Amino acid sequence: MNAALLIARRDLVELARGGRLYWMGGVLLLLLAASLAVGFTRQRQSHAERTQAQALDYAGWLAQPERHPHDAAHQGMHVFKPEAPLAIVDPGLGPYLGSTLWLRAHRQTEVKFRPAQDATGLARFGSLSAAWVLQLLGPLVVIVLGFAAISSEREQGTLRQTLSHGVTLRQVLWGKALALGSMLGMLLLPAGVVAGAAVLAFAEAGARADAALRLLGLGVAYALYLAAFIFMVLAVSAWARSSRLSLVCLLGLWIALVLVLPRLLADASRAWVPSESRREFERGLGAALGDATERAWKQAFGVGKPFGSGVSLSQWGLGLRVHDRAGYAVLDRHFDALWESYAQQQALQRWAGVLSPTIAVRALSMGLSGTDFDEHRAFSSAAEAQRRRMQDILSEDLIEHADGRGERHFSYRAAPELWARVPPFEYRPADAGAVLGRAWPSFGLLCAAGLLWITLAGAVAARRGLG
Amino acid sequence: MRGQMRTISVELRRIMRHELALLHADKSLWVVSALLALLSVYAVGTGLEHVRSRDLERAEALAEQAAAGAALATRLGRVMARQEPPDPWANPTDPALVGGGLATRYADLPSAPLALLAIGQSDMLPDLYSVSTESRVETMYDSEIENPWNLLTGRFDLAFVVTYLLPLFILGWSYNLLASERELGTLRLLLSQPVRLGELVLGKVAVRAVVLCVWCVVLPVGLSLVFRPEARGVAGLAALAGWSSLVIAYILFWFALAALVDGVARSGALGALVLIVCWVACVIILPVALSLGASLASPAPSRAELATETRVITAQSLARLADELGRDYRHIQDPEALLPKGGRFEVSERLRAFFLASSELDARIEAKLEAFDGQLLGQQVFVERWGLLSPAVLVHEGMAALAGNGTRRYQRFQARVTAFHAEWRRFFGPRINQGLAIGEADLQALPRFRWVELEPGRVLADALLRLVGILAAAVGAALAARRALRRYPVT
Repeated sequence: MNAALLIARRDLVELARGGRLYWMGGVLLLLLAASLAVGFTRQRQSHAERTQAQALDYAGWLAQPERHPHDAAHQGMHVFKPEAPLAIVDPGLGPYLGSTLWLRAHRQTEVKFRPAQDATGLARFGSLSAAWVLQLLGPLVVIVLGFAAISSEREQGTLRQTLSHGVTLRQVLWGKALALGSMLGMLLLPAGVVAGAAVLAFAEAGARADAALRLLGLGVAYALYLAAFIFMVLAVSAWARSSRLSLVCLLGLWIALVLVLPRLLADASRAWVPSESRREFERGLGAALGDATERAWKQAFGVGKPFGSGVSLSQWGLGLRVHDRAGYAVLDRHFDALWESYAQQQALQRWAGVLSPTIAVRALSMGLSGTDFDEHRAFSSAAEAQRRRMQDILSEDLIEHADGRGERHFSYRAAPELWARVPPFEYRPADAGAVLGRAWPSFGLLCAAGLLWITLAGAVAARRGLG
Repeated sequence: MRGQMRTISVELRRIMRHELALLHADKSLWVVSALLALLSVYAVGTGLEHVRSRDLERAEALAEQAAAGAALATRLGRVMARQEPPDPWANPTDPALVGGGLATRYADLPSAPLALLAIGQSDMLPDLYSVSTESRVETMYDSEIENPWNLLTGRFDLAFVVTYLLPLFILGWSYNLLASERELGTLRLLLSQPVRLGELVLGKVAVRAVVLCVWCVVLPVGLSLVFRPEARGVAGLAALAGWSSLVIAYILFWFALAALVDGVARSGALGALVLIVCWVACVIILPVALSLGASLASPAPSRAELATETRVITAQSLARLADELGRDYRHIQDPEALLPKGGRFEVSERLRAFFLASSELDARIEAKLEAFDGQLLGQQVFVERWGLLSPAVLVHEGMAALAGNGTRRYQRFQARVTAFHAEWRRFFGPRINQGLAIGEADLQALPRFRWVELEPGRVLADALLRLVGILAAAVGAALAARRALRRYPVT
């Protein structure tokens, strides 16, 4: 049998004999089970609520009596972001984004009702999810299981014995990695199966293949993530003079890479690409909308004051259309600039994924789970398209039926058939293929991180040798 | 007895001097000091920059409000003197327009004196609301715009350094207080002197604790006093004293725990492992579990249902007011209708109808909104009760509260904004409904938002309770450590 396999088998037996595996593995499995149960319950409840609310809202829209279309546009409609099936595993940015958008006349709105606003300050410690457990505690389990993998052999002199049998250091390294990987696989595979079953049970029939593909991507992502940490642990264990030093250094690395670096990078990216505060954004948008509307109004009616006495009520519907269309490009520009600043901040942080695999896997995990900002942006854009569709249909109807009434413009009441001309809002998240295509930089970074640590582990082991 | 105490004190001082020399010699004193000083300064800088940008934003908003108010008063004077025709959408005599936005008032939450020490909820919850006659649902559900990725990551403020990193420095510096001496064989030598094991541990801990207090308590307090003049007042100093006590108690807790583990573990590596497990449980897992527990004990009502209900109520109101909404904006085409006559103003039927619809929405949705406030309060009570399980939760919540960025203060702010919104609507309601024109006296008498700070006694009492909780944990760990040290095998 290959020497690496023999070493892996021996290490597995030793790990199975020790208490660390059962304690750490037990805690990890318990947390994973609890997080999946919480995720499944939350997912099912949110999905039911949002589906029902979406249906009720559109039914309410259709049931409107005869009324002035612009009043209907002012009341508008709500749209609800569908809960992604893989949010069971990784709720991602969900707690900080919210899921409800109010579509109404004149202005694009931000998503309201962030769940984190309905929670105490403790929510900032994190929320229990399988992704949180794997990203934060997964590496810690690898450290606890593997910190002494090579250092203790050196301390006890067994490394010298092993090498005297013609086994190479490279084989020792891969054997150790295989043992740690197998141990983690044995721990995590049952949890993965449970998570997969929960996700597939929750996903609608037509979306199961998509969910399965995303699950597969998640499995690969977390395997790469933990593999990077396995080789990091082995590199440090090979370098350290004692197991104690190895443990202390690895814990220091874990703290730096998992806890400290992401926060420092968030600060750095905020300083590098500043994003607007709510007030700055609203002030800039308001001023730009005002300017654009005045220009368009002047062009259409020869006067600069929107909805002033210069334009008669017989042109009110036309004025609404001019007003709204003047705003579309401004809204696009400002929202795009805001979202682009977020995307750039995240991209800057993502490049540190080579150093901190936690950052890379976090982006990848929420991307594959459909709970990242790209997905939110796509939903917001789809909702805005629906708002404009609604607004355009209603303004066209005003031009057609109310403007002809002259000064009695507001006496017009549209028949309920008009409401049905606004189609129900339907949002289809990006398919798994597109998401995987988008995720390749993060996959690449995780692979690069893994390769970096494999190379380092090999180099360190070769340099330190038996000494 | 006094002589014995004096002997202990002399021995303790000698151990501390000796330990200090050792820490100096192995350079850990300087490495730890440099790292902690750097972290503290960076974290305080982060907090300071955050507070300054928010203060600046608020100041700009309030200055704009004052300028807009002055411009409105000037325009009112010119319109009344017939020097300027009234703009149908910015008529300063129209109560519906003035209340609905022309005279928008900001309700603002000032930064507390120690705001730089913990960012808490302040990067997510607004400290500035623009209040108008719009419904409460529209007014109160703004949130700060911030990159959600950064919100999820969290801020590198002093609360993070103290809650997460400080214990790690303590554990890294004291996981092998005795184990290393025993492994090196110097413990027997030390104990051959007139020194007891407890004194030896106490001396080692005391030196380290003093060093950590210098960088994590004295330095931030000094920086706060220098860069935050508000912290020099009585309230600021009291809060600083509370903050320092909490952090010192937290430091003592982790040292006591380290001493306990040191007394029990038979090797340095095992001790380190046990301590890191304790840290993960206390700082990582328990807060998340408590947060989950709070959301299960006091679950948030459905926001989706709130949106649906809002829509249903609004639809019903607008259907009832269909006749008023069907009236034309006659005044737009009739400049005379835009001017008050004998103190009365013909408010557009449509604008009045919208005001009535929002009043009805507020009245009917109030219970639902109260349920949200109630559930958040329930969660906070849960956290305050069960937070005793984790000193990390106690210190984190305590620091956020003393910095004025805790949940309770934001709850108070939102309650005050709600009351101010109601007052604003009460002011404009009769004027809109009865068609009373806005005059100069009305602009002078516009309601103003007044922030009433949480009672300092209450904040300090809460801090004291948390302090007692952390100290109880520290004393418990210290007593257990003392017992373990009595049985400690020297060889």
